[in-house]
Amino acid sequence: MAPDPALDPAVLDTLRQLTLPGEPDVLTDVLRLFLDEAPKKIRALQAAFDAGDAPQMARLAHSLKGSSGNIGAGALMDVCRRLDELAAAGDLTRIAPLLAALTEEYHRAELEITQLLQTS
Amino acid sequence: MNALHVLVADDEPVSRTVVGAMLKKAGYIVSYAPDGEQAWQRLDGPTAPALALLDWEMPGLQGPEIVERIRNKQTPTPTYVILLTSRDSSADIVRGLRAGADDYVCKPANEDELIARVNVGARVVQLQAALADRVRSLEEALANVKALQTLLPMCAYCKSVRNDQNYWEKVETYFTQHSGVSFTHSYCPNCYDRYVRPELEALDDARAVQDRLKRK
Repeated sequence: MAPDPALDPAVLDTLRQLTLPGEPDVLTDVLRLFLDEAPKKIRALQAAFDAGDAPQMARLAHSLKGSSGNIGAGALMDVCRRLDELAAAGDLTRIAPLLAALTEEYHRAELEITQLLQTS
Repeated sequence: MNALHVLVADDEPVSRTVVGAMLKKAGYIVSYAPDGEQAWQRLDGPTAPALALLDWEMPGLQGPEIVERIRNKQTPTPTYVILLTSRDSSADIVRGLRAGADDYVCKPANEDELIARVNVGARVVQLQAALADRVRSLEEALANVKALQTLLPMCAYCKSVRNDQNYWEKVETYFTQHSGVSFTHSYCPNCYDRYVRPELEALDDARAVQDRLKRK
């Protein structure tokens, strides 16, 4: 069985249909913004974890949760939600495996985004 | 419907772009603020947008703080504020609404729901603007009535008054035209003694003189 797509096709369709005649393609814009921004947030999350800065981790995870939700990256959003909850509670003991999952899910999303951007 | 201006304030570029694109597609004019401080500058300025979608968590000022500042301004046409939040616990929602937000939308925003709620906001904004216009014209009318009562030029000698077209006319005519008051002529006791009685007495004297002349 093929794994679930990293990006929800329904959400991508909605974004596609937001483009107005004569305006730049919304889906392309949003996906490029995401590729530009998400890796910075992930690096910053790792740095905050190394520094033991739980509030900063919560802020970053919260923000990344928002942008992954917007492009329909459901699995990535779920990891971010759990990171946000743990960091907000100040619990950094169970974070390490979540950070690994975060990188994993990001790469899955990145791969699909790159393919989408090439075909569009 | 006239295109209303909506400010989208979110530090997160992906969310900002998606929400902005949804609003543009629905016919709104959209501007953006990347943090709370810049959002407040736009909302506090002379051309504040009619509606604002504020992210709850932003660097600088957070959504609920901005809402409180807007509410403290007390203008006749305040910006209609919708908080964008991924906090979906009812305690958080109540907190946002208590701070003075008009509505909230959970992130990631569903297009149909977001636009439906923004359209409600647009209706409120338009009703509020119509009401503010009405209040303004009533205040102007009231000011005119007061001017009429307090500044009516009257001739010190003949007591004519100068009307709005710069013509002098009798007090009776002026008030009949401006207030619907109609006059009936009579005399007061003082003027009876001063004018009416002497005339009546003069009339009697004249009649007595005539009678005397006839008898002769």
